[in-house]
Amino acid sequence: MSSWIRLLIYLIAAPVVGGLLAGWDRRISARMQSRRGPPIFQPFYDVRKLWQKQSIVVRRSQNFYILFFLLLVIFTGALFFAGSDLLLVIFALTLAAIFFVLGAYKASSPYSFIGAERELILMMAYEPMILLTAIGMYMVTKSFYVHDIASHATLLVLALPGVFLGFLYTLEIKFRKSPFDLSSSHHAHQELVRGITTEFSGRALALVEIAHWYENVFLLGWVYLFFASSPLLGVAVSLLVFVLVILTDNVFARLKWQTALRSAWVVAAVLGFGNILVLSLLR
Amino acid sequence: MAGIKQSPWILHYDASSCNGCDIETLACLTPVFDVERLGVINTGNPKHADIFLVTGAVNEQSKDVIRNLYRQMPEPKVVVAIGACAATGGVFRECYNISGGVDSVIPVDVFVPGCAARPEAIIDGVVRALAVLEERQRDTAAAAGSMDQVLYLRAQKSNAPQILALQKAAYQSEAGIYGDEGLPALQQTLEELEDEFDRRPNREASSLGARETRKDPEKDRDHVVFLKAVVNGRIIGAVRGYEVDDTAYLSRVIVHPYFQGMGIGRRLTEEIEKAFPGVKRFEIFTGHRNERNLRQFRKLGYQEFKTEPFTPAITWIYLQKERP
Amino acid sequence: MRILMTLVLALILVPIGAGLMLGCVRLDTLRKVVVGAVTLAVFCGTLALAARPTPVDSGVVPFNHHWLNLGMLLVEIGMGLYVIVVGVRSRRPLIVALMLAQGGLMLWFELTQGPRLEAAHDLFVDNFSLIMALINGVVGGGICLYALGYMREYHEVAHRDVPDRRPLFFALLFIFMGAMFGLVFANNLMWLFLFWEITTLCSFLLIGYTQTPEARRNALRALVMNLAGGLAFALAIVWFHDNADSIELQTLITSKQSLALVPAALLCFAGITKSAQLPFSSWLLGAMVAPTPVSALLHSSTMVKAGVYLVLRMAPAVTGTTVGLMVALVGGVTFVIGSMAAITTSEAKRVLAWSTVANLGLIVLCGGIGTGEAVWAGMLLIVFHAVAKCLLFLCVGVVEHKLHSRDIEAMSGLIVNLPRVAVMMLVGMAGMFLAPFGMLISKWAVLKAVVDASPLLSVFIVFGSSATLFFWVKWMGKLLEVVEPQRRIEEKLALGESIALYGLSAATFLACLFFPLISSRFIEPYVLSVYGQTASLGQGNLLIMTIMMIFVLLFPLSFVWYGRGVKVVDAYLGGANVRGGVGFTGSAGQVQEVNLHNYYFRGLLDEAGLCRCGVIGCSIVLAVMAAAALV
Ligand code: SF4
Repeated sequence: MSSWIRLLIYLIAAPVVGGLLAGWDRRISARMQSRRGPPIFQPFYDVRKLWQKQSIVVRRSQNFYILFFLLLVIFTGALFFAGSDLLLVIFALTLAAIFFVLGAYKASSPYSFIGAERELILMMAYEPMILLTAIGMYMVTKSFYVHDIASHATLLVLALPGVFLGFLYTLEIKFRKSPFDLSSSHHAHQELVRGITTEFSGRALALVEIAHWYENVFLLGWVYLFFASSPLLGVAVSLLVFVLVILTDNVFARLKWQTALRSAWVVAAVLGFGNILVLSLLR
Repeated sequence: MAGIKQSPWILHYDASSCNGCDIETLACLTPVFDVERLGVINTGNPKHADIFLVTGAVNEQSKDVIRNLYRQMPEPKVVVAIGACAATGGVFRECYNISGGVDSVIPVDVFVPGCAARPEAIIDGVVRALAVLEERQRDTAAAAGSMDQVLYLRAQKSNAPQILALQKAAYQSEAGIYGDEGLPALQQTLEELEDEFDRRPNREASSLGARETRKDPEKDRDHVVFLKAVVNGRIIGAVRGYEVDDTAYLSRVIVHPYFQGMGIGRRLTEEIEKAFPGVKRFEIFTGHRNERNLRQFRKLGYQEFKTEPFTPAITWIYLQKERP
Repeated sequence: MRILMTLVLALILVPIGAGLMLGCVRLDTLRKVVVGAVTLAVFCGTLALAARPTPVDSGVVPFNHHWLNLGMLLVEIGMGLYVIVVGVRSRRPLIVALMLAQGGLMLWFELTQGPRLEAAHDLFVDNFSLIMALINGVVGGGICLYALGYMREYHEVAHRDVPDRRPLFFALLFIFMGAMFGLVFANNLMWLFLFWEITTLCSFLLIGYTQTPEARRNALRALVMNLAGGLAFALAIVWFHDNADSIELQTLITSKQSLALVPAALLCFAGITKSAQLPFSSWLLGAMVAPTPVSALLHSSTMVKAGVYLVLRMAPAVTGTTVGLMVALVGGVTFVIGSMAAITTSEAKRVLAWSTVANLGLIVLCGGIGTGEAVWAGMLLIVFHAVAKCLLFLCVGVVEHKLHSRDIEAMSGLIVNLPRVAVMMLVGMAGMFLAPFGMLISKWAVLKAVVDASPLLSVFIVFGSSATLFFWVKWMGKLLEVVEPQRRIEEKLALGESIALYGLSAATFLACLFFPLISSRFIEPYVLSVYGQTASLGQGNLLIMTIMMIFVLLFPLSFVWYGRGVKVVDAYLGGANVRGGVGFTGSAGQVQEVNLHNYYFRGLLDEAGLCRCGVIGCSIVLAVMAAAALV
């Protein structure tokens, strides 16, 4: 498949898949709490409704940041699925996240401010592990290009078990799931209201949702990369990981930000760096 | 454009409930009732919410909060008052600090009876609110779609309920400015408003001082003008005025919050000036901290000429304009 | 050839001459004229130098060597005596001891070896020195212009209590500039050493400019640490001459590793002190008491760069050795510790200082690794860091004068209060860490180079850069948020200040746009000439970076649709908002003001503790380095 076709498929299919995953998420969570849960298409209903609502802002320019957040998230995924440089993908992802955070800062409300600040802490927490993941993949495949990594002959996870586990840990953070839903939680009633998204309403909020769909698909794509040489296994593991994330979301209480930061760094240092250490010793 | 019904997000506020109704409201989220199967999310954030659930009677503490939360919800929105307290004040009605049901502060769309209201009743109330929400959504969308066809017509007495509801919604922002209610516009009852159609209001007339001469009601009626701004059959703005001795006294330029800032208020003022062809002078007043109104009136050629303290928080500013 | 050498000499001598002249100019207008003219001349000179088609290798100075050497010796002795007097007066035996050791060594060296101390080429120009000269001329020139307006406000408005010694200030600034040119063009190690010492002395005097007890203390600390570096430098010269019978930088770089390792290690040590790496970082933090132009010129964009310049020059000599690894470790540890320390403080200049230390650490890391790719990345860092960081310093200077505070928390709402400066500051910050700006491209290059050479060292970059992210974004957020009803402060900038600020903002963008040109015109040829191969970013990646650049550039355009179709309401405050949304009703009905305050990780990280760890860790590393060099 040429990278252009893959790119096109990503652009069109990612929001659909992402939305369905989100619906599935709510449904599975409900079942875990012995409820029926909403229809599987609920996330789409939500976005459709948000699209029709009035947009309320605190500062007039705050919504632009969200627009750029969405564009950059799409761009990140596009780079990834077009097979480009993994480090660039990470930089684009960071840039996107920064726009999101700046939007929340701009909104100048205490809740979104603390949400933004916590989101930053979480970014600081997951960034090392994500970079180490890219480095680990490079050490095995000798290339930073997603394209080359995907066409590597062996299962990457065999050489990178520690990195894979560490990556799963950061995935919890990226999915904004308990125990790391410090910055903005989809569960009702908490000390931060909606944290980083508190002040966004109407279309801006819809854009945030869509951006998360794109982002989630991209992240699961990265999980797939660990198993790229065996596509079926890859898809299965990606979905399994998603269920695992939902499970942890339902069974864990939230961590304090100090613990979140510390634990994520320890995981990166022990699992991620440890794995790379072993690799470079073996080399 | 449908679909708002499928994703009702809720904001729940406890005004001064005994917690009976709160518990029942939250019970709706539990596995037994599981309202999430209807797409309901308890957001806890006015900016995300479509439906405002209020439990308990309104007291001095919660009055401002209710008003603030209501103002911070994006259109279209509906309000559901849950339980006897929220409807009328209930058993707390006679307390020294209770000002009554929720509708004493903000317009309410659905009342859910009961003490405490049962979860089934609450869910039913939410579902009914959804119908209102959808209608409002359709109305707003339609109105927003045909903003170039706003009609400015004389209002009839039969429009009074609609105008009153509009007035209460429109004055929320004014109440937000002064914090304390005591704004006459928010306390007006339907009878008082209907009365205004027949003769000019007493309180404002009193500010005219000694020159005021009471004429018989039949003659007064000619001097009272009510205008409404209508889009697609829906009233989105109104203004009133009456004439005494060559002066037209205009008041209450009200525009629905969703349509504010689109020039409707200005048009209403201009139209009502035309409705008094015989007068030499126009007079209008507004609260001293309503910068937007003041700016608007100045733009229309009005100039301040006196101020009058009304409550400790509010001072009326009177503006006038000679007919050119 | 002759033209080139004349140009180089002019670049060194004109600023020094102007500096000596400015030392006796008290008249403000005259000073303006002189500063403007010299800055313009230097600016044109460096550009002319850079525009020459093929940079030439080296040149001979058309002077009689004997007299020149004698003159230099006199200058050196004079400086040495002055330092000793300073040391005695301030009762710092360490200063006296260090100066005596280094001066004695050099004096003995010159007297015994005098006639043999001849270099075939005293000066040389290559692409690396050209880059350094460009930074010095363009950025440094901008800062001098900025200083005109800044220092007037400094004395006449902001700091009336500080004695007005502006003639001295500008004299030192220009002498420093000339010395800096000398430093980057010198091939004769003796010359290099002289210029090195001049910058040390200028730095010392400028840090102590205000003459407050704190300033004096910090100046002395800077002096001690830089003298230690100077001693190492002197030892390196003597050692190298003893073993290789040459005092030429080029010979040192190209000679075999066994011969060059000890002097290279010593010079790296000198570079580490100069660029304020741990364990010597404290002097740079202390140097922030100096007026802002000094911090911008000496302590972020040029003088401290001289340190890393030397380390990068030494890179071929130390690459692959334990010494190199240790240098890299010092850089890596400094990067992580500096970045984390920057999180803990809310004082703007301190944050900038820590960030400078951290970024210099990154460059030192590159130098220590010493592969062609790493050196390429390190040079990129030098360029981009100089531009963006200098812009930030200058902005902070302006803000400090307008707000009378350099606390980041006080900068809340700056985007409304001082919109132009705030936007420039945001550009500077974006330039420091955001894709697709220069620093990020460089960090990316560093990461790739490090992963290729020794992947384990990448752990420093990985952790350090995520810490970087945190303190920059929270600062940006602080500028953007608008809480109180804001008043717009009058935003009048002096002409020089405007030129510098706008120029540097433009440079931050242009450096990004012309990144491929900078790389292929200056950096790649240098790396090629030293290593025989070079690195560059792939074509496809450049394209992607360009797309990202377009994204970022589009952002301001979106303000064309400024807030259309939205409704403005107060922030959510639990429904308890009171009038106008800046306050809320707290318990018992009293009104509280909304106050947003950033996280500084108090209780989790602590600046002093971090420093202590870094100092101990890096001291051990340096000890290992010394052992490795000698064994
Ligand atoms: S209606 Fe009854 S249960 Fe509900 S709040 Fe009032 S008193 Fe409590």
